[in-house]
Amino acid sequence: MGYFCTYVPEEILYAAGILPVRILGSHEPQDVTEPHIFAMFCPFCRDCLAQGLKNRYKYLDGLMIAQSCLHIRQAYTSWIKHRPVDFEKFLCMPNKVQSPHAHEFLTEEYRIFKKEVEDWTGKKITDKDLDNAIKVYNENRRLMRKLYDLRKRDNPPITGEEVMEIVMAMQMTDKAEHNKMLKDLLKKLDNYTPDREAGSRLMILGSEDDDTVFMNMVENLGATFVTDDHCTGSRYFWNEVMPGEDRLASIAARYIDRVPCPSKDWEERKRIPHILNLCKEWNVDGVIIMQQKFCDPHELDFVAIKKALGDAGIPTLFLEFDVTVPVGQFKIRVEAFLEMIGEEDLF
Amino acid sequence: MVEKTEFWRWTESQWTSPDIDWKGKLITSGVDVGSVSSQAVILADGELFAYSNMRTGSDSPDSAMKAINWAMEDTGLKLDDIIYTVGTGYGRVNVPFSQRAITEIACHARGGNFMYGSSVRTILDMGGQDCKAIHCDERGKVTNFLMNDKCAAGTGRGMEVFADLLGVSINDVGNLSLDIDKEPTPVSSTCVVYAKTEATGLLREGWPKNKVLAAYCSAMAHRIMTLLERIGVEEDFAITGGIAKNKGVVTRLEKEVGIKILDTSNYDPQIAGALGAALFAKALHEKGKKK
Repeated sequence: MGYFCTYVPEEILYAAGILPVRILGSHEPQDVTEPHIFAMFCPFCRDCLAQGLKNRYKYLDGLMIAQSCLHIRQAYTSWIKHRPVDFEKFLCMPNKVQSPHAHEFLTEEYRIFKKEVEDWTGKKITDKDLDNAIKVYNENRRLMRKLYDLRKRDNPPITGEEVMEIVMAMQMTDKAEHNKMLKDLLKKLDNYTPDREAGSRLMILGSEDDDTVFMNMVENLGATFVTDDHCTGSRYFWNEVMPGEDRLASIAARYIDRVPCPSKDWEERKRIPHILNLCKEWNVDGVIIMQQKFCDPHELDFVAIKKALGDAGIPTLFLEFDVTVPVGQFKIRVEAFLEMIGEEDLF
Repeated sequence: MVEKTEFWRWTESQWTSPDIDWKGKLITSGVDVGSVSSQAVILADGELFAYSNMRTGSDSPDSAMKAINWAMEDTGLKLDDIIYTVGTGYGRVNVPFSQRAITEIACHARGGNFMYGSSVRTILDMGGQDCKAIHCDERGKVTNFLMNDKCAAGTGRGMEVFADLLGVSINDVGNLSLDIDKEPTPVSSTCVVYAKTEATGLLREGWPKNKVLAAYCSAMAHRIMTLLERIGVEEDFAITGGIAKNKGVVTRLEKEVGIKILDTSNYDPQIAGALGAALFAKALHEKGKKK
């Protein structure tokens, strides 16, 4: 089952014996989406739709999305219109997660969704199935948090680029398999000191971001990403499901109360204290705020986040993505940013 | 074939201090290979000794060599006499004789600090193909910066295109644009190509050259103002880069910002990047010796 946004309750799919696969772009220029999606929508949603129109996800039996923003929803609706799938679902995830009715509403949406999945597969999803899915997913999240803890070291045993690869793999593989590999990796990293200087400790935050080329470029300039706030990063796995009698209500609570995407982070901006805490615990020297061009939710949050970080004495660099990254243009900004936060030697 | 005047061609320059005997002094240099122009600055014991400012060719290492050779021309120096060189600008990693590359953002802040004094807090570098607003502390260390995005508006390259279109030497563009009775409406597009199309239309309507130039300089100042508004302007405020020599843009910008722009007459504002690089070269050499 292809899914568009990390607000999709994967546990329910996993319990039904379905493998959730996140839809991502290819970072190649393309010319197929122009008639189907606005040019002022973010490059990521256009890139994702292009993959569908080009039949690069032909192996999918189903496609779904949970409401997050209009841009990615347009990619979803256009995809199912032009490349129909066997099972399609628009899950009505509330945008106002801070509403007192959000938990109840989402739990009922899940009941409908569960029934639809059961009708499609012809197999009942039992509480046992859900418990197992919750267990596997929670373990996965816990292992990832352990991996992130290793990045608190003075010389982190793993780079930000590598972690980005791990999170992307995590969004496409069976979590049970991923858990095995993570345990293996954690064991290996336990006593490992890398043969590279950590340099400045950076955090990256913002829109969907799977741009490993950018991460690699920055980490070769004398810096290391020690943590992040991306839906292709920590935001995806930070919170666990707290098991309860009503499994669907427990899962709903997890998605309502998780570290929010800025499209849902209102009226109170709950992400800001979380980001400040990450900076503190991971001892961050500077923050790169990376956003997809035209991503309104992130752009609206940028001013408040920049101010909060500035007040905490943490410098920020704001960059805007497109489908392909102009490496030269980004490089000079990043180099100058690193010179700004370090390089006392020059004076 | 009739030889065509190259109106866009700005005056290249070279200067050597008549008062300095470099022998026995610490010689460092900075080379700024930009997208449009290249500069080399030579310091003797941290004092400005010689510089050159010329057009960048298609080959960065070659441009760097040409710039440093021209700067050394009247000094009696050889390349080996220079103890430390820092490269900066787009071609900063392509300066063959340099020991280190540093971004032009850091270098313009440091160079601006030297040229205009330690009270400078905001430096606007208006270069050939981009422009940067930089905040710095009293040492000339960057505290914040902002660059324009993916667009040549507000840059020297745009001005070259206009000089060529109107057949006015680029050195005269600024003064000519101020020679008007009433400020015209700015051209609506600052995209160089579209602005050129718009200007062609204005000429066809019968606008004189100075009025068209005024409309373009004013659009450029306005465009830069939007960049400055995002980062804020703290006094003292100085401009570096080639556009600093264009009074048409500077005067209009000063009016929009409402803050006095420091006078540029003592130094060629185009050398700020190379000057900062040469100052860093001195610091790096001295730090290296201490180790």
